Amino acid sequence: MMQLWRDYDPGEFYDELMHDQHQPRHFSYKLLDYLKSMRKEAFEQRIVDSELEILERGITFTVYSDAGNIDRAWPFDIIPRIIPKGEWDCTEKGLVQRIRALNMFINDIYNDGNIIRDGLIPEEVVLQSKGYRPQCKGMQPAHGIWAHICGSDLVRDDNGTMYVLEDNLRVPSGVAYMLENRKTTKRVLPELFKLLHISPVNDYPSHLSAMLASLAPDDITHPKMVLLTPGIYNSAYFEHAALAQQAGLILLEGADLTVGNDGYVYMKTIHGLERVDVIYRRIDDDFIDPLVFREDSTLGIPGIMQSWREGKVAIANAPGCGVADDKVIYAYVPAMIRYYLNEEPLLPNVPTWMCRDPHQLQHVLDNLADLVVKPANESGGYGMLVGPHSSEEQIEAFRQLLIDDPNNYIAQPTLKLSVSPTSCGDHIAPRHVDLRPFILSGKNNYVTPGGLTRVALVKGSLVVNSSQGGGSKDTWIVDDSHFGGLN
Amino acid sequence: MLSRVAERVYWLARYLERVENTARLINVHTGLLMDLPRDVEIDWFTLVTIFDAEMFYHANFEQINENNVMQFLLAEPNNPISLLNSLSAVRENARTSLDILPEETWEQVNELYLLVKNEMAAISNRRRRQQLLLTIMERCQTVWGILVNHMSRNHAYHFMQTAKHLERADMTSRILEMTSLLMAENRSESMRAAEGILWTHLLRALSAQQMYTQTYSSSVNADGVLTFLIRDEAFPRSLFFSLKAIGRYLWPLPQSATTLEHHQKIMSEMFNENLKELPAEMIYTRMDELQAKLAELSSQISQKWFHPDRSVA
Repeated sequence: MMQLWRDYDPGEFYDELMHDQHQPRHFSYKLLDYLKSMRKEAFEQRIVDSELEILERGITFTVYSDAGNIDRAWPFDIIPRIIPKGEWDCTEKGLVQRIRALNMFINDIYNDGNIIRDGLIPEEVVLQSKGYRPQCKGMQPAHGIWAHICGSDLVRDDNGTMYVLEDNLRVPSGVAYMLENRKTTKRVLPELFKLLHISPVNDYPSHLSAMLASLAPDDITHPKMVLLTPGIYNSAYFEHAALAQQAGLILLEGADLTVGNDGYVYMKTIHGLERVDVIYRRIDDDFIDPLVFREDSTLGIPGIMQSWREGKVAIANAPGCGVADDKVIYAYVPAMIRYYLNEEPLLPNVPTWMCRDPHQLQHVLDNLADLVVKPANESGGYGMLVGPHSSEEQIEAFRQLLIDDPNNYIAQPTLKLSVSPTSCGDHIAPRHVDLRPFILSGKNNYVTPGGLTRVALVKGSLVVNSSQGGGSKDTWIVDDSHFGGLN
Repeated sequence: MLSRVAERVYWLARYLERVENTARLINVHTGLLMDLPRDVEIDWFTLVTIFDAEMFYHANFEQINENNVMQFLLAEPNNPISLLNSLSAVRENARTSLDILPEETWEQVNELYLLVKNEMAAISNRRRRQQLLLTIMERCQTVWGILVNHMSRNHAYHFMQTAKHLERADMTSRILEMTSLLMAENRSESMRAAEGILWTHLLRALSAQQMYTQTYSSSVNADGVLTFLIRDEAFPRSLFFSLKAIGRYLWPLPQSATTLEHHQKIMSEMFNENLKELPAEMIYTRMDELQAKLAELSSQISQKWFHPDRSVA
């Protein structure tokens, strides 16, 4: 298979597996030796196997497009991405530190508002966040936790530093695909698991289930737990079903639930109504209760917010937790960590200019061609400008947007995102990657070892979102303590 | 168990059974037509009449020939009971019940659907088609194997078994309607000459030949076949066996008393009279009636457990 690698060159970018053009990193040489020892045809056969595997297991996601909604096979690259365990242990600590601070922040702003009073974050910044819900004021969810499931996006720049790019706190998706990626690798490249010790990821569902159980109201020991999905037409339906199956949750839709006269939440079963204690919801705040939020929502359950407020049902993630899933609030996370935990942040933020500040806005406008500009409240890579990859007209259009509505935008330097060897048809080439680990917070914290690596399959592209042509990789946390040698 | 989920697994099982039965019927029928002289009263269109689908057929095709009938029964999107439509219903119901079915169920169903969909272009080729039908039967058996061997005997399982036996009884009664052709007073000479083949065909369409032969070590004849397919207590595709099984699986469901009463009524109406003494056209009528009663039982199940909020009483 050597010929597939002949022209491999990460160039100016940090490569996850390669030290330079020729030299693998100390933790990846076993993997690369193995891959390179395969015949080209054999390697290609494994790719075909993995595609077939994904097709037959029906691992799909939906893309909403002009041509209607299309169910696409999950895009998977069979060359795994490796992170050495020593490094990962630090990253994990940083993620836990971050989510602890974020939860304290959410709890604070819906209750005492200390951080605002102490002048660390201006009140209008909190109020501008689209995820802020005044209806949640005064709530004290179990353990003071609001964001029970968080998917943080991590990226690495050209000197190898890992940054947090964003914290997805509303209904982060991708964890089932992480699980499926590992299953696929085990089926198509089982030999690799003999060569290396790879931290297993498949206990995520049991951690999820334990975390949800720790939220149950009234100290119930065997709570009835459900996963609330918008239904089969949602892009992440596959994930909803897979998680429900693996974590032992009842998969249901809003129409299956009703709020009783006693204020508790019930599901409609063949036995009649049965009480529900914990709801892992995969629908946005806006749709969860037509009495409180969007009246036109048919996905939600009228009255459920009242049940939640009265402590009769637990909802994960808690309504209103999206307040911290905002790109302006993001800029304050390091300050939150210092404020609530009295600790230095272990994981850095990407440097961020806030356009709401006139000085910073001027800097952004002066350097638009070099920056990435993002709207505060969008996800999925929509509505953003990548300066170096944009035309003059696109940049000018964004200049106008920034001047008209500066509060809604932030800007960051264009990171030289790290790359990882990726199979691209007739050769292996470096492609940009990010990483989305998942952090559970209930009575305890849990971080997935690794997470979902997303890869931009188009040469030079930085857009890793699967809805926009990105792919994914299995992510290995490998114990490198006995490997020795230099990085 | 959620009412909605109960409904989905119920229909999953019905369609799964229907797919297998359809595949077997077409496979066996093709074999039969190879053996029969051209001038008998049984042809490709007989298949369409077994499914009571004449109206849909004529809405979609003008000519009656092998290709059109096969296209109609296997692939036609406008035929609500075409095999591909049934299989697609199995798939959609499996996709939305992933959380309560054994993990491999969805994989198997999805794989089968993709395979059948791809092969549909080749069904005009008789050899390829027969091969495909055999594969479909095998794969359906695989899915049932997974369900029977991996699933707890919970309500989801009871609903699926109820549905399977209900669908099976329906299909058996449809195939028994063919006896009216076989026993018609005015049937042709060629038909009379081919009697042995035809009665054997009836057995084969229900996978019953071997068990029949073991039970009656005599030759295949009208009396024997009717008794076996209607009343045999041990053969799992006889009407008696399927109907009794429906009762067995309805029984553990919550508040099943009224539904069980209804079921008991169907049983006694069906088995208190000696069907084999009836004239041929009466068997046809009885089978038609049975299908109507089964449909009613099914809608009662739906009202009781799937949509209690819609019931009037």
